[in-house]
Amino acid sequence: MTLQEVRSLRAEVGSLCAISAPSAPCSLRPWGLRAGAFWVLRTGPALLSVRKFTEKHEWVTTENGIGTVGISNFAQEALGDVVYCSLPEVGTKLNKQKEFGALESVKAASELYSPLSGEVTEISKALAENPGLVNKSCYEDGFSRGRSGGLVFPSLSEFFTVYCDPHSQRLWHSQ
Amino acid sequence: MLIPFSMKNCFQLLCNLKVPAAGFKNIVKSGLILQSISNDVYHNLAVEDWIHDHMNLEGKPVLFLWRNSPSVVIGRHQNPWQECNLNLMREEGVKLARRRSGGGTVYHDIGNINLTFFTTKKKYDRMENLKLVVRALKAVQPHLDVQATERFDLLLDGQFKISGTASKIGRNAAYHHCTLLCSTDGTFLSSLLKSPYQGIRSNATASTPALVRNLMEKDPTLTCEVVINAVATEYAASHQIDNHIHLINPTDETVFPGINSKARELQTWEWIYGKTPKFSVDTSFTVLHEQSHLEIKVFIDVKNGRIEVCNIEAPDHWLPLEICDQLNSSFIGSKFCPIETTVLTSILHRTYPGDDELHSKWNILCEKIKGIM
Repeated sequence: MTLQEVRSLRAEVGSLCAISAPSAPCSLRPWGLRAGAFWVLRTGPALLSVRKFTEKHEWVTTENGIGTVGISNFAQEALGDVVYCSLPEVGTKLNKQKEFGALESVKAASELYSPLSGEVTEISKALAENPGLVNKSCYEDGFSRGRSGGLVFPSLSEFFTVYCDPHSQRLWHSQ
Repeated sequence: MLIPFSMKNCFQLLCNLKVPAAGFKNIVKSGLILQSISNDVYHNLAVEDWIHDHMNLEGKPVLFLWRNSPSVVIGRHQNPWQECNLNLMREEGVKLARRRSGGGTVYHDIGNINLTFFTTKKKYDRMENLKLVVRALKAVQPHLDVQATERFDLLLDGQFKISGTASKIGRNAAYHHCTLLCSTDGTFLSSLLKSPYQGIRSNATASTPALVRNLMEKDPTLTCEVVINAVATEYAASHQIDNHIHLINPTDETVFPGINSKARELQTWEWIYGKTPKFSVDTSFTVLHEQSHLEIKVFIDVKNGRIEVCNIEAPDHWLPLEICDQLNSSFIGSKFCPIETTVLTSILHRTYPGDDELHSKWNILCEKIKGIM
């Protein structure tokens, strides 16, 4: 397997929003949004540390100061069919662990908590129109991008790594 | 048994994060039953917010019982224009509230009981709560055919809905609330929950219409008071707590610090209407002009309750294009609201003073547009 591999994802993944770090004087390098989306995979422990999970089942990946946030496969299964997704507007400033939106499934509105602080730069239109993508594609569609700030999120070390989470391991291998 | 809540008891019970555990054991064993003395939907919804945000529910679940004066309550992500007859509600003085939980639209009046089950997230179990309600009803009337469905409705005789459910899941706590129809005005309910508005395109969560029935129609002994007591008794038995319903005043800041500001927020236009997911209106109406009917097409995009895009298309011979354009641009940014439209109309009049024919046409148009708001 190659160290870096870009693949379009079809299985159960979808991200919810991408958050930028507080700005640093770097040029903007937004992550290109293509149909079907993609992520970067690496093998070995380095690969497995790309996606970090919180204990509340939000996950985040970062690259060049851009964070992408979503909910885990475990969470989307527990929720059931998502019928509505309420996401923040582009430009909203988010604070770590604060509520930033909600998912509605089977008449239950579940709050979403931001695993990072930063500013929302892009949200997935696909998810707004088709909230069921959270179930079908919880790591791919439905995210917003963050602005490149060149900062390392200090809180990343607090998250569980993908390596530790049995659910995401299973997911990884299913590709 | 109803016990008026003393202030001292309230503080100990409700601020239990700060009071040492020993202070609670005498009062709260492993649960609490509260009943609101208010019939105001906003104040009662504010109690739910307050308990959800402030109470530590670990090992101490709470049951909250409340009833409202005539109100229509929509779910968190719903569109009121799609769900109910706002014009009728304004005429009849029926309040509109948006709750924080998901689910569909319901009508509340004093013949409907609302039950809210507060637990930690781990103990969140809607089916268990509904089974408790069924047991309570059967304790009063053993032959009653009441069952919970997969959608967490309660059906009477296998076909009539007597209860609907919704819930909210937070970081550590969750609540599940449901209605229970005892003696609600069913005719009024049907007319209020039928939207007359055409051409709305939206991805807001839609309600699932159902045939409803009151428990009292099945059995006249099932009054609200009887049902409330039965549910409280069953809750007390299931949680092994004293069967005491504690009455609470949802406007009392000494017991619920900050609650009035929560109630105020629930009444703001920004919350009730402004939280409606983006939608568009694509409709038309006719105006009478020299014995012929002219079709006026309307395309409006509404975001956060405000008009983002407005295209009212009228025949050029009736209303010149540039005048029509002026009308369209004046709507941009204003609330999708009949009161605001009235204000706009009078502002427009002032831009063309003395032109009575134009004023009359604008008035006709604006009345029609208000009719779709």
